[in-house]
Amino acid sequence: MATAVVARPVARPQARARDEEVLVWPDLVFVEFIAALLFTITLFILSVVVNAPLLDQANADVTPNPSKAPWYLLNLQELLLHMNAAMAGIIIPTVWLIILGAFPYFDRDTEGQGAWFSTKNSVKLTAVAGTVGFVGTWALILWDSGKIAFFLNDWFNLSGGDSLRFLENVRSMQSQLPWPEWSREITYLPFNLRILDGTGSGGPTTFQNLDFPGWLVEQAIPIAVLLGLPCLMMYTMWRLGWITNRRDALIALFSGFVGAYGVLTMVGTAFRGQGQELVFPWELKVSEGIPGQEAPH
Amino acid sequence: MAVETPAKPTIADKIYDKMFHNYVWKSIFRTGYPNTPRNQMLVVATNVFLHLHPTRIHRTHVKITHTYCLGGLSFFMFLGLTITGILLMFYYVPSVERAYLDMQNITTTVQFGQMMRNMHRWMAHAMVILVFMHMMRVFYTGAYKPPREFNWVVGVILLVLTFLLSFTGYLLPWDQLAFWAITVGTNIAGSAPVLGPKTRFWLLGGFEVGPDSLIRFYTLHVIGLPLLAAIFMAVHFWRIRRDGGLARPL
Repeated sequence: MATAVVARPVARPQARARDEEVLVWPDLVFVEFIAALLFTITLFILSVVVNAPLLDQANADVTPNPSKAPWYLLNLQELLLHMNAAMAGIIIPTVWLIILGAFPYFDRDTEGQGAWFSTKNSVKLTAVAGTVGFVGTWALILWDSGKIAFFLNDWFNLSGGDSLRFLENVRSMQSQLPWPEWSREITYLPFNLRILDGTGSGGPTTFQNLDFPGWLVEQAIPIAVLLGLPCLMMYTMWRLGWITNRRDALIALFSGFVGAYGVLTMVGTAFRGQGQELVFPWELKVSEGIPGQEAPH
Repeated sequence: MAVETPAKPTIADKIYDKMFHNYVWKSIFRTGYPNTPRNQMLVVATNVFLHLHPTRIHRTHVKITHTYCLGGLSFFMFLGLTITGILLMFYYVPSVERAYLDMQNITTTVQFGQMMRNMHRWMAHAMVILVFMHMMRVFYTGAYKPPREFNWVVGVILLVLTFLLSFTGYLLPWDQLAFWAITVGTNIAGSAPVLGPKTRFWLLGGFEVGPDSLIRFYTLHVIGLPLLAAIFMAVHFWRIRRDGGLARPL
């Protein structure tokens, strides 16, 4: 009996998805249990060793100097020193949270999910953007607190004199430039617009006049810096060929944010002394504004 | 002909049998001890707490360096904060007259009171840090990509809720640290254009931090925000399951 043999490729057994799986009990439950146990023990020991702070009873008449928000809001309090309060405290965090929430709607590619630093340049982008955010934020804080001008004068005897004084920090552009009187009150509405006015304190509720130098220093320059510098960084990285897709762009943006956010939180927490002056952490003192008991200057 | 007879049960076997194979025990735990693959899957599938997980997951997901357990630990902190928070609530009255006195009592006369308070505070800090790190983990592993877009948004909402939970708790000790931190914090909220002053008034129940602020912050801290967070957490965890577990390379 003749048998016809048809040549065909040998079917390789496919690895079944099931073979790649493990049981949740014990493999995952065990890991979770150990993690929870480690944290419980660590926090338990921490709680035995370090007591939660409890200062004197609240007193509205005695203001500590400096008064600080909880540490995770000190990044915003730090921003507040450099620009318009509404921008630093509300608009910037709100806009950033919206941008953050919109990340997945911008980068819709399913490629490279579920793996650490999946694109070719992602580690480099993270490191460089993080460093740029870190160093750049420090530089801006040092400049705006007048420290750079101070050190240039103190260490290198470099002084711009009165003509360059407006570069000392951002506020000096308002106070040291010969702004004409009219620019300090530009009427942009023919009537005084009042919205929800009447509580007497807090953010702007009436609109009619614009203080141009104040607007420039408090809003325009900070917005230009906050939008411009990240864009400049990402544009440079794109021209260098480091950013090749949307995922890369987001990695650069997010890493820059983490660097800047870390510096702002750190400076607000450990480097801001009395009167929100920039000091070293070991010079940090808190006085409670009681006459005769203030920390020495 | 020699017949092989099974070994006689030892006394330990008999005790084990009496304890775990009786009517009452079986009514509570329907599966046997999870020492066989069948029981291991059953215990995960039938236990209300464990069934948050699937019965099997991909090999890469139990690698500690894939997630560092950050999301799970954030949830664990939430549970720990609930427990220590309830214990603290037994002794704490949110009134200006009593709040600070109660704090002193908790730290001095209540048994393990200082311990509970310390745990609550350090866990709260840990939760803020863990949630932020969890966000970083999810971002750098690209786990927000389709189909998990909306779960990333839910995560951002949970991050904000974590900040708010911590912030509202900050006022409750009613000491100088609490009072002025909340004054500064609510001033930041009050600086918003147009809506700021009203928001601040609504938050504080007045123009400055006072008795009404304390009761508002307390209510938000112990019931309002935890409830909201629990709802969003439920959605967050549910969607992880619906979207096929943790993200992994396609």
